[in-house]
Amino acid sequence: MNFVSAILIQTWRNLLRTFGSQVLTLLTITLSTLIFAFFFLLYINMINVGSQLGDDLRLVVYLDEEPSPALQEEYRERIQRFDGVDRIEFISRKQAFERFKKELGADRDILTDMPEDFLPPSIEVYPVRSLNNLTRIKRFSDYLLTLPGVLKVQYGQEWIERFYSFVRLLRVIVILSGTLLILTSTFMIARTISLTLLSRRRELELLRLFGASSAYIRLPYFLEGALQGFLGASIGLGTLYLLFRWITLQFSGSALFGYFPFSFFSPLVSATIIALSTLLCAAGSYSSTRRILQV
Amino acid sequence: MTSMTETTPHSTKKKVMVELIKVGKSYPPDVEALNEISLSISQGEMVFLTGRSGAGKTTLLRLLCRIERPDRGLVEIDGTDLGSLSPARLQQLRRRIGMAYQDFKLLKDSSVAENIALPMEILCRQRSFIRRRTKELLEALGLGHKYNARARDLSRGEQQRVSIARAVANNPDLILADEPTGNLDVESTARVMDLFHEHCRRGAAILIATHDPKIYAGGNFRILHLANGEVIEQFSPASAADEVKPS
Repeated sequence: MNFVSAILIQTWRNLLRTFGSQVLTLLTITLSTLIFAFFFLLYINMINVGSQLGDDLRLVVYLDEEPSPALQEEYRERIQRFDGVDRIEFISRKQAFERFKKELGADRDILTDMPEDFLPPSIEVYPVRSLNNLTRIKRFSDYLLTLPGVLKVQYGQEWIERFYSFVRLLRVIVILSGTLLILTSTFMIARTISLTLLSRRRELELLRLFGASSAYIRLPYFLEGALQGFLGASIGLGTLYLLFRWITLQFSGSALFGYFPFSFFSPLVSATIIALSTLLCAAGSYSSTRRILQV
Repeated sequence: MTSMTETTPHSTKKKVMVELIKVGKSYPPDVEALNEISLSISQGEMVFLTGRSGAGKTTLLRLLCRIERPDRGLVEIDGTDLGSLSPARLQQLRRRIGMAYQDFKLLKDSSVAENIALPMEILCRQRSFIRRRTKELLEALGLGHKYNARARDLSRGEQQRVSIARAVANNPDLILADEPTGNLDVESTARVMDLFHEHCRRGAAILIATHDPKIYAGGNFRILHLANGEVIEQFSPASAADEVKPS
């Protein structure tokens, strides 16, 4: 039997001897991962939704006068200086009138006696589609109001602010559930390993007396922690995936799912969550053995 | 089974396994357990340590596997000063020492086989080897039928024999036994002593702390008698009065 086999056998024995507390710890880690991953998945999908908001992110800047080409250039420069912009369009009074007429469709007759220049000229600003820009849209709007000749700035303020509040809430929940995952993973593992170590002090003392190396004594507990983290996160993510599949099947025909294609974590993100949990649990186990065994 | 009166020659020159030079150990407030003790034990030699309870026998054994450190003096095992050992080297050295403790130190919830396997697992022995060796030792000590029994279900005499089996499982170079026959009947004592003699013949140095003069009576052993923290060396079977000499 080589060293690795000896360690694996010891680990297996440890797991069997404290099966009850191992199951409880595993359940706790699974649940923590599930809670964290659920909100994280929601958050990621909301960010995707934010980047797909399209025209709702458009800011319409109404001007008092039709800008000359030189002024247009100056506006363009000053807008781009403030933030990343996808595109800027200048709408003349006439273009605005034509657009309005088109939007009225069959009712366009009501414009018959109206002058073609009764609508104000405007600039349509399309910020780069990202959540970051979404959160700054209010500041962007305030900035645009300071430009010369600007009468009013209009955008889907209420909708965007509500959406942003929701995403901000999600971010807080993700941070909290992430902290929960970190705490439960490290502390639960540390607690379980501590209890195991304390209940097996006699055996550990004997191992030392018979010349067991520090690695021989510590590695099984380290592996035990890592295994708990790996299994807990894998089961948690697996459960979330099943839940996700079930929800997408149940609501596959709904407008919401049609408009925003919700997706599960990429393999890389899933692997990162599992690796993180494994690492956290291994760290909890390491600190516990270091504290109690002093080897 | 060989006779328990088999002798170990003490006159032939062999490599020194244990060397104590002017070793002293005291416990608070003012108990002088060992005082200026000097002794040596060679490979293939079986030595008995006698003395009243509290004379320092267990302390001496504990110094030899560095469960405790001396206050003064030098303790060497196979030429290595125990006082200057790094943790890694101490681990290596302890793998060459088998100790049967007076309180047995068995894992009560584990099986007899698991208890005996413990030191062999530390050396990463093959599973088949561990099984074979465990069975062999249990047969030798009359416990063949107790292989799977829980240690807590054994009598004290049986627990003592399991502790001895575990001590010799790795064929250590140095065997330390603290009252190894204290709870045993005549037959079991003979089996234990046979096992020790077998390891002694293979070259192990053995130090047995005992109150039982029967286990060295009739043999030609060195007897180290501890009294008042000092050691007086005698030889069996000759009477103490004939051959007492201060160490």
